[in-house]
Amino acid sequence: MFRKSHPLQSKSEILLRNIVVLVMVVFFTVFLIVPIGIAFAGSFHEWNPLSGTYRFLGLENYKEVFTSALFGKSMLNTLIFSVVVIIFRVGLGLGIAYAIYSPLIRLKSFFRAVYYMPVVTPMVAVAFVWKFMYNPQIGVINQIFHLDLNWLMNPKTALLAVMIMTIWKDFGYAVVMYMAGLYSLPSDALEAAKVDGANAWQTFRYITFPLLKPMTLFVVITSIIAYIQAYVQILIMTEGGPGTATYLASYIIYDEAFVKYNFGYASALSFVLFVVTAAFTLLSFKVSGTEE
Amino acid sequence: MKKKIFAALMAASLAVSGLAVNSVYAEGNMEPFGDTVKYDPSVEINNGEDITVELWEWGSDDLFQQVIDGYTEIHPNVTIKLVNNPWEDYWTKLPLSLDGDKGPAIFNVHNSYHENLINYMAPLDIPVEDLEADFTGVEAHVIDGQVYYIDYGMMTGSVYYNKAMWEEAGLTEEDIPKTWDEFREVAKKLTIKDGDRIIQAGLSFNDDFHQNYLLGLNYQLGENLFQEDGKTPNMTSDAMKQVMQMLVDMYEVDGVGSKDFGEKSADTFGQGMSAMVLQWGHYYNTLNTTWTDIDFGVFEIPTFDGDPYAYNRYNGESTFGINKNAPEDQQAVAQDFVKYFLANDDAQVAFNLAMSTFPAKKSLADDERILANPSLKVLSEHIDHYIWPGPMPATVENSLKKAGQDIFFNGVDIDTALQEAQDNMIRDMKNSSFQSVENLYAYAK
Repeated sequence: MFRKSHPLQSKSEILLRNIVVLVMVVFFTVFLIVPIGIAFAGSFHEWNPLSGTYRFLGLENYKEVFTSALFGKSMLNTLIFSVVVIIFRVGLGLGIAYAIYSPLIRLKSFFRAVYYMPVVTPMVAVAFVWKFMYNPQIGVINQIFHLDLNWLMNPKTALLAVMIMTIWKDFGYAVVMYMAGLYSLPSDALEAAKVDGANAWQTFRYITFPLLKPMTLFVVITSIIAYIQAYVQILIMTEGGPGTATYLASYIIYDEAFVKYNFGYASALSFVLFVVTAAFTLLSFKVSGTEE
Repeated sequence: MKKKIFAALMAASLAVSGLAVNSVYAEGNMEPFGDTVKYDPSVEINNGEDITVELWEWGSDDLFQQVIDGYTEIHPNVTIKLVNNPWEDYWTKLPLSLDGDKGPAIFNVHNSYHENLINYMAPLDIPVEDLEADFTGVEAHVIDGQVYYIDYGMMTGSVYYNKAMWEEAGLTEEDIPKTWDEFREVAKKLTIKDGDRIIQAGLSFNDDFHQNYLLGLNYQLGENLFQEDGKTPNMTSDAMKQVMQMLVDMYEVDGVGSKDFGEKSADTFGQGMSAMVLQWGHYYNTLNTTWTDIDFGVFEIPTFDGDPYAYNRYNGESTFGINKNAPEDQQAVAQDFVKYFLANDDAQVAFNLAMSTFPAKKSLADDERILANPSLKVLSEHIDHYIWPGPMPATVENSLKKAGQDIFFNGVDIDTALQEAQDNMIRDMKNSSFQSVENLYAYAK
């Protein structure tokens, strides 16, 4: 299967490598490439796998995507949601990681674990708890802040409420990532800054933050990919409401595929979203100047 | 969600109905029983040879098991394996399973999934005229002269009220409203406020106004949900606008409740925060199992003028489906099992009480066990004045819910919101095979 242009020691090693690679190729083909191909073909059809409907529509589904006001609104919501959550995720993550990294802080592992706990808690559970906390009558948030707000059904606060929950749940991921980045910084650069008389802010601004750029880029890109796919919190907390005020792009896909069983249109939406995600990822590389 | 809660409560409701008795299903003898659709227990199944079939359902195992036990007591050579799939998985697994050769011979049906199931179903081996003689609403299920499933029960809405709050407001049985105007006055009396802040709502319809009001009260005003072609929604009708306006006025003019007071009307009533709620039959079981502290009464849905075209919409609880791709011997057992279920009055009563549905079987309309359930008794007088529009696609409910939320929360005017709902439905239903059966209503204009 593979030519022997490598420094492997024995036939058994080569055999093992070939088996491992073959398994991975088969795995990705069966569970990734084939489903993507089926979905792509399906995006040109009226397709309901449950009733057996599969009728060619040409570009009809794509035309509908690009003329849908709801999809446009959802994309705008997704953009707002992603930008705000990513900014806070990165900002809070970096800030808290830097604070924990400080020699003044003890119990570093404890803090790291505490901030990471929401990340490993299932989104479904977190969303239900926060939904209860936002309850206008008995929710703890209104009681603490002496408010009388129907957070999740007010069009001005509904998306904000979901974003706050998402930031709380996810910023711990950035904390852990940045801590890993901070501990791997070259100590000579930091010491040189110290010798040159740089204060704490200057050290952070001109040494630490630039050196953390690859980590920031990683967090931002993984966040873009994750938040463009976000729908669980919407499904549980608002169901897209009030009206369609909190529809996100991925929630429409869920709604079309698993509520209306309109798999063809949902597939077309998915491919458009795939292209958008890829474009944003490339843009991130461009902006950060690390395209190569 | 409503359907899921409903399904989950079925099992618990058995205890309430007091029908957890196996022997009632077996009739105890081998004489034929039933009305027009008769079941003869003496007829051997599968030539007396052992056979196993599966029955899939999404909840209420005990209820199904009792029917199975009754049947297998008559036919010990038949084994019916009950398979429970949770509601969330059921509607994906079942059609995919029926598409192959390993699907269950018998399966529970919910008519909201009609389009995904009908292509896999075998017609019932019972003459349509016999079914029509025994059951209400059969005509609406006839497809090309054949019937694949029918309704064993009809579910619709009634008003539930908190008796303690009713009494505290100085109201008596005499005050039970017959019209919406009277209803609004009663709701005002039941409302308690501290300044502008609601302490006790006279009424709540939060989260389910679309199911319980918008998709039903239009009939009281003589308008169908679908236009004459049976396909085009009729959401911008004057009746729909009038109903929507009444809901808005109840909250914003009468002040008997608020869009922000309680997330779901069903919970708000159960938590003692509101005095009245319009809910469908399943709510009777919910109150008896989940909100046991609430002392409640039930009355028939009010009307606009006392002489409505129809009182409300109903939805049928469906009989079992038979898998047309199952082996012939299994299909034969399935056909026999369905006939046994239809002919067996005790099974019919048990299922209807468990679901709080009014029996579609005509001979059970006056059954004392049925009328002992207050939520069914209030329906008995006018049960023939309820309309089933057919198995509406999900977009009908979902689009109206969004329209209502746009009106209440997003400041959209009624005309615009209903027009948007209409447009959404037309777009979502453009490839649907749905055909309204409102024209089959007994008193159709």
